[in-house]
Amino acid sequence: GRGGFRGGSKVSVEPHRHEGVFIARGKEDVLATLNMVPGESVYGEKKISVEEGSEKIEYRVWNPFRSKLAAAIVGGIGNIYMPPGSKVLYLGAANGTTVSHVSDILGSEGVVYAVEFSLRSGRDLVNMAKKRMNIVPIVEDARHPHKYRMICGMVDTIFADVAQPDQARIVAINAQHFLKVGGHYIISIKANCIDSTAPAEAVFAGEIKKLQADQLKPQEQLTLEPYERDHAVVVGTYRPAKKNKQ
Amino acid sequence: MAQQMFVLFEHASGYGLFKVREFEEVGTFLPEVEASSSDVSKFKQVVKLVGYRAFTSAASSLENINAISEGLITDELSAFLETNLPKVGKKAGVILGVTDPKLGAAINEKLTIPVTHIGVIPEIVRGIRTHLTHFVKGLTNSSMKQTELGLGHSYSRGKVKFNVNRVDNMII
Repeated sequence: GRGGFRGGSKVSVEPHRHEGVFIARGKEDVLATLNMVPGESVYGEKKISVEEGSEKIEYRVWNPFRSKLAAAIVGGIGNIYMPPGSKVLYLGAANGTTVSHVSDILGSEGVVYAVEFSLRSGRDLVNMAKKRMNIVPIVEDARHPHKYRMICGMVDTIFADVAQPDQARIVAINAQHFLKVGGHYIISIKANCIDSTAPAEAVFAGEIKKLQADQLKPQEQLTLEPYERDHAVVVGTYRPAKKNKQ
Repeated sequence: MAQQMFVLFEHASGYGLFKVREFEEVGTFLPEVEASSSDVSKFKQVVKLVGYRAFTSAASSLENINAISEGLITDELSAFLETNLPKVGKKAGVILGVTDPKLGAAINEKLTIPVTHIGVIPEIVRGIRTHLTHFVKGLTNSSMKQTELGLGHSYSRGKVKFNVNRVDNMII
């Protein structure tokens, strides 16, 4: 290994532009989040301890090669719309690696509803959520939001990483149920999962059209190079306020 | 004939039944409901709470979500609806709005109440989900979060554990 962040005295941590995210400056700069459960690693990620006065604060390193949200942040996404204390619906939570960082970002006042259909990943997700009291694990199919309507409240933001051909529709029906008016969505689009024959750019453009048709107005699109191939992240607003309203 | 419209809302903490203000046309009513969804006082003019039945235990809420997610009616739900909906003696124009058409069909079959899940219903349910704490006494944002958290865990654990098609479950 590279030795990482041993020798903590040389590392300084400062807040990132996005509230709740941090940059640890050592030999290289890395993203990190404030560990909600000090002493615990979720998926073997490195921890950084920083002494502030007499207090020790622990951060967890967030690897953009392992998390599309981290890749989007490193890539300079304008806004992740997940300030501490907000509510997020996370579709395609998988084992919960990124969800654990979102949980760190939101803090104890926030909530992340983490939906994952696969039972194998779902089991890891449920176990991870036991230690983090702001994660509501939902092992269910994101195509059927009515199945989890009793456990999911209204949210400020939907993050979707479902890698399904009908993902735009999945986001749209979840938004209809749970996303507040003027709330935001972040969707990670893998061109291959939608159409493996068309060029990536055409696929992204097609997905954006579908989103627009469902009142999911796109604001920003960025690719996840060099962390992911043919991946784009689209950020937008749900039912944005009409411009000509006084 | 004035038709009375009710809406069923299911939550981790219990069942709620709301009565929708009378309206003439969906076309003009729908934008009004949409606009009111961000404003509690406006939304309170659209619906009012008729009845709320809190789940008495974690086991009962789990039993109910397991049924509701599959579109099945439970004894608790049918008792709740029977006590809170006006008696349909003469079929006097009562209609019940639900989120899930499958559950709607089950309710219709058991209680012979006309149901709908279209038109203004999804928008009204959104409004209820947004403002639930303003209708139900004693329900706060933090207690809502606690019930969702508890039920999310037990529901998901159930999915992971008692999966009949399990192929990848290891015996521990």
